[in-house]
Amino acid sequence: MSATKSLHPDEKLKANKLGSRLFAIGGAAGALLLALSVVLGGAIDQGFAWQRFFYAYLVAWGFVCSIAVGSLFFILSHHLVRGKWGIVLRRVAEFITGSLPLLFLLGLGFIIPVLAGYKHLYYWSEPGLHDASHPLYHHMHNKLGWFDPFFFAGRYVLYFAIYIGLARWFAGKSKAADDLDEAGAAALAEKMRVWSGIATLVFSITTVFFAFDLFMSLSPTWFSTIYSVNWFAGAMLATYCTLALFTRAIQRSGRITHSVTVEHYHDIGKYMFGWTFFWIYTAFSQFMLQWYGNMPEETVFYNYRMFSQWEWVSWALLFGHWAFPYLALVTRWTKRILPLLMFFAVWQLVFHYVDLFWNVMPNQQWLVEGKLVLGPLQGDPALHKVHFHPVDVTLLFAMIALFLAGVGRSMKGNLLPVKDPKLGESLAFENY
Amino acid sequence: MDTHDHSHDHDDERPVPPPGGGDHDHGDDTAAAGADDELHGLLAEFETPGALIAAARKVKNAGYTDFDCYSPFPVHGIDDAMGIKRTRLPLVVFAGGIAGLIGGAFLQWWMNAYNWPWNIGGKPSWSIPANVPITYETTILLSVLTTFFGMWAANKLPQVWHPFFRLDRFARVTDDGLFLGIDASDRRFELEQTRQLLVAAGATHVEACYVDARPEARQVPKPIFAVMIALGMLALIPLVQIYKARATRSSQPHWHIFSDMDFQPKVKSDQPFPDFADGRGNRGHLAGTVARGQLAADDLFDRGLDHGAWTTSLPPQITVDDAALDRGQERYNIYCAPCHGYDGAGHGIVPERVKRIGGVWEARNLVAPDSVAIAMPNGQLFNTVSNGFNTMMGYAAQVPVADRWKIVLYVRALQRAQNATRDELPPGATVR
Repeated sequence: MSATKSLHPDEKLKANKLGSRLFAIGGAAGALLLALSVVLGGAIDQGFAWQRFFYAYLVAWGFVCSIAVGSLFFILSHHLVRGKWGIVLRRVAEFITGSLPLLFLLGLGFIIPVLAGYKHLYYWSEPGLHDASHPLYHHMHNKLGWFDPFFFAGRYVLYFAIYIGLARWFAGKSKAADDLDEAGAAALAEKMRVWSGIATLVFSITTVFFAFDLFMSLSPTWFSTIYSVNWFAGAMLATYCTLALFTRAIQRSGRITHSVTVEHYHDIGKYMFGWTFFWIYTAFSQFMLQWYGNMPEETVFYNYRMFSQWEWVSWALLFGHWAFPYLALVTRWTKRILPLLMFFAVWQLVFHYVDLFWNVMPNQQWLVEGKLVLGPLQGDPALHKVHFHPVDVTLLFAMIALFLAGVGRSMKGNLLPVKDPKLGESLAFENY
Repeated sequence: MDTHDHSHDHDDERPVPPPGGGDHDHGDDTAAAGADDELHGLLAEFETPGALIAAARKVKNAGYTDFDCYSPFPVHGIDDAMGIKRTRLPLVVFAGGIAGLIGGAFLQWWMNAYNWPWNIGGKPSWSIPANVPITYETTILLSVLTTFFGMWAANKLPQVWHPFFRLDRFARVTDDGLFLGIDASDRRFELEQTRQLLVAAGATHVEACYVDARPEARQVPKPIFAVMIALGMLALIPLVQIYKARATRSSQPHWHIFSDMDFQPKVKSDQPFPDFADGRGNRGHLAGTVARGQLAADDLFDRGLDHGAWTTSLPPQITVDDAALDRGQERYNIYCAPCHGYDGAGHGIVPERVKRIGGVWEARNLVAPDSVAIAMPNGQLFNTVSNGFNTMMGYAAQVPVADRWKIVLYVRALQRAQNATRDELPPGATVR
């Protein structure tokens, strides 16, 4: 009974120059901004040399990385549940996952310094922790086997091997189907569906450890089992916002204007609404259990974010990343009036960055009147100030530009999976 | 299914009979009512959801308003085809959700913070984070209930009977039948024309539906009212019982709806127990045995006796030092100060309170120069702490032996301090 539709005869399906132009402009702008950031980063006198640079680098990199990782999940989940509505968006998501190899290389920008002995990004790389007289030895000595810089770097390579492997396999099969006949394309679609189950499992386990290692370990004595779920929720929210914006941008260039309709944006909006709620759900779960349990090794995380200048960032997140967009996205009309939907996509992306900033930055170590205050570990919360620095901005835009370059590099051929057996149903999709 | 079946005498292919026509005969026992039968409307069956949608659109465009579609599953797009306006139910649900939010928060505030505040581990009785989960649940609960019952109300449910139930064919609407029914009350309804419209719209079968015109056949049978009233009154009984229990006194034990572990097959202390020869639940000491830890063989330490007389020194187990005195002070302040006062002068809160309500309760002044407590040897003082004196109860059960000796020590310290003279002060001490 599902209605189907065939592609509009005048539809412009080919990416043509779009990808190479994106690659050239994004690459040039990104390289320029990255160079500028390095210059600015060397001139910082906050805390330790280069510390702010690497923290800002991690936040900005994590921002674009979460979108690429989330896009991979978008693809997997569509295959897994035989989703129909989003087939017209799948190729765009596949292009986004094409940025993963470049993101891997960019991540080496902080992995290699850690390997080389830079100890002011991840405090667990401090050699003094191995000494039994260190005040945190008691908290850390059982974890130091896991937090070995080389083991850490090895895991980083493994995570990206899995992400890139999954992304290439699914994008590759999807693209290969474009050149096949109907039966061949259907067989490939079935193959992707079959493998999406195990792939989702592998993806989930990878993402749990990915977020634990790269973000939660910034505060190595603190732990929260739902941390990765919250990170994932933010990543998915950012992914749907990016899908909306990126698809709209492609349509502005005159391509796929007939295939992606307000109905598809409406569904993206529903997911933005859903993930907005899932984000606060996991964030609040983490907060409430630790607040109620009231154990010092857990509450330290919130101590720094509630009883210092960070309090205002926390409130901003609560209202900006949840309450306001949640209430605004609850109605059908916000999702169907495209300029409004695009506004909220940008809004939520901005707050996704604030969320990562809020998660990462308070872990910085500070020198207060010559005395070391270990951000995640000790000290009066009131000493923790919210600092901004030009590298926060330059690195964010550098990463976005390079991310777009990575997406552009993989943006070749058709902008829709033209031979997908469910494409007709996706084209005819309507919200009733 | 009833005695007014109009359908079993038409074959699928046969045209619909005109009302009261020869083709239209009745079951055996309704001949008298037959002439009064009234046309309710026309029911048309369709093969596919697509055909139903097309027919609905056609009927709507022909100007009909009193018609409805019936299907065993939701047919997407049917509301648009029928010209049904978008439901306003979401707004009602939103209001329901807000009511649940406010109601849930108010419920917790009323119960926990206002009507019956209860100290649980020193936690505040009103604290927003702790109330979020319940508020969240009540918000969802009321949203869901509003959706469910709002949908009922919008669809005029529950509807226990419908004229189309008289047509056998209509039973398939819960399985695989798709129907469109037009009411005869529609101002455009004209039996033959409407029938032709439906046939032209692709109906595979069109059938007229008649209802019994007798007024008594359209009323709810009286016994049903009787049963409903009886049930309603029975339902009041529990409420009346509850009200009676609240308004009256009773010497009967509570109703144990949930008995928990209130009644256990065990003997409580000081209760009779017929299975023992002496009929008592309590078991005394067995002759010739001493319970573990209760030997008390050391006369000096356990009883304060030195060769049959009260000792004037201390047992060797007690060392006189600051730790022993601190311990003695702590125990004294817990067990002795309520009557004897912190300074030992007999002005504890118990005698003070008895005095305030007009009674007499003298606690001995332990520190007055002429006090018997000063003249007593250490052993007798120890014995008094252990076994009591006049109306004072012994503290052997609450305070371990060594602690009782330390209380003796502290009492001696109090007596010394309270009777000190100025020239006994250490040099440099100031008098306040």
